[in-house]
Parts: sequence; C-alpha cells; structure tokens
Amino acid sequence: MTALFGTEYFGFIVSAYGVVTFVILALLAWVHLTYAARKRDLAKLEQAGLKRGSQVDG
Amino acid sequence: MTVETIKRPSGLTALANPTRFLALVRVLLPIFTAIALVLLAVGLWMGFSVPDDYQQGRTVRIMFIHVPSVWMAMGAYMTMVSGALGVLVWRHPLADVAARAAAPIGAAFTFLGLATGSIWGRPMWGTWWVWDARLTSFLVLLIIYLGLIALWNSIEEPAKSSRMAAIAILIGALNIPIIRFSVEWFTTLHQGPSVVRAGGPSMAPEFLHPLLIMGLAFLFIFLALHLMAMRNEIMRRQIRTLQRKAAQSNRTGASRAEIAQ
Repeated sequence: MTALFGTEYFGFIVSAYGVVTFVILALLAWVHLTYAARKRDLAKLEQAGLKRGSQVDG
Repeated sequence: MTVETIKRPSGLTALANPTRFLALVRVLLPIFTAIALVLLAVGLWMGFSVPDDYQQGRTVRIMFIHVPSVWMAMGAYMTMVSGALGVLVWRHPLADVAARAAAPIGAAFTFLGLATGSIWGRPMWGTWWVWDARLTSFLVLLIIYLGLIALWNSIEEPAKSSRMAAIAILIGALNIPIIRFSVEWFTTLHQGPSVVRAGGPSMAPEFLHPLLIMGLAFLFIFLALHLMAMRNEIMRRQIRTLQRKAAQSNRTGASRAEIAQ
C-alpha cells in the first residue's frame, strides 16, 4: 500500500477507488433511508386503523 | 379437491407471500453482508499486495474494481431478465419487484464500470474515452437502465407498468451479447476477454486471484443491496395498497353521508 504514494498513477488509483467507495456508500444510504421512510409511512397508516395482509418488520 | 390434497406452497411459490420473503431477507441479509465484508477485506489486501504489471504498472489495481463493477452491471441486467420472464411467463408476484429493485443498483454499477474504465484509460490509452464498440455498447447499457427506471415511474397502473417494463427489458437484453462479444466482433481499443474465454483465463494467477475474490465481494454487495431494495419495493406496494384502501373507505363514507342526507 505504501508503495502507491508518490507514484505517477497515485491520483488515478485513488480516484477510481474513491468513486467506487462513494457510489456503494450512496447506494447503501439510499436503501437505508428509503427503508426508514417506508417503515414510518406504514406505521402512520396502521395508526390510522388500516390493516394489511402481511406484517413487515425488521 | 380434498383438504388433504392441498399442498403447502414450496420453493419460489412460497416466496410469493411477502411475509415469508421478508423473513428470508432478515436471515440472508446479515449473512451476505458479513461475507461481502470479509471478501472485500481479503480482496483489497491481495489487490494491494500484487507486484506492478509489466504493462499497466500500478494501475493494474484499478482492474480489481473495474472488472467486478462491469460483471455486476451485466449480472444485475440478467437478474432483470429473469424478473421479466417471471412477469411474462410465470406471473410471479415477486418477479417485477426483483426486476425493479435491480435497476438502480445495475445503473450504479454500470456508471462505476464506465468511470473506473475511464480513469484507467487516461494513463494507459492516453484518453478518457473512445467511441469503440465495447465502451459505446456499455454506455448504451446505462441509457437502457435509466430508460427502464423512467418507464416504471411513468406508468401508474402496476400490471401495465410491469408488463411494459418486462418487454422493454427483454428487448434491451440484446445489448448484453453485444457488450460481451464486441471485442471479438469489432476492432476495439478495449482489450479482448482475459478471464472468461475459451482456453481459460490468460491472466497470471497473482492478478487473477485478487480479481476473482473482488468479483465475489461485489457479488455479495450486489445481493445484499438487491435484497434491501426488494424489501423497500414490497413496502412501497403495501403503502400504496393501504392508501388506496383509505381513499376507497373515505369515498364510501362520503357517499353514505350523501344518501343519508
């Protein structure tokens, strides 16, 4: 790993790994935030007395 | 048919029940996440321990994330093709959910394939981009993904939207063999296949092994993300059903009040 620093391709390697890390973390954030929002919406609807055929938890 | 002859649903039929599928997600998700993290740690360690390639130098390390991104971009599309067949042939309730959930993840991996390829291409080819058959057909894959996401979002009626998307997915699938064989059918700046090819991989084992480990890590990242996205899609449908129920009961209540007056 230390051999990478100071090489002429350092910027390209870091950029490639950086963009992959950023996009995968963004995907994870997107699924988690959507899940939290959907759970909140379902809870609100159930509080309003609406029943669904199957239960969602987790 | 007597009560004794009615069989309990099994296999894919059993998973048509959202509760059963979501229970399976709860079991599989931590397992897939743990496997992905372990493989990623091993793959990164192996990838950064390899010697420099005699042609690519240190940029060979970009291959360990570029190639798995490309595999997942095409794998996600094949997941959508299975979903499309599930919608059109077997009418499995989860088929459209699986296809729809795979689209944004597939689009993200396609973008990663293009971005990392471009970052590798600048020092190795001397250019960020060329309109050769491989790069262009892969860009077309990204456009297909975005088009399918737009199609799903533009049709309100669920059955119609899933059928239309399934047909569009199958038409778009023609691009997958074009991507795969473009480097053999046309003269391209992009190199030919070096892993999945007749006669076995042409890559040296010291580069092949970290690449395969990273490929498996990306596969489990995709599987974990796909399960989570499928869970979200099922919940979206449950919310829509409840909202419709609420709207319907509001309408019924209003018309009863009008009749009473």
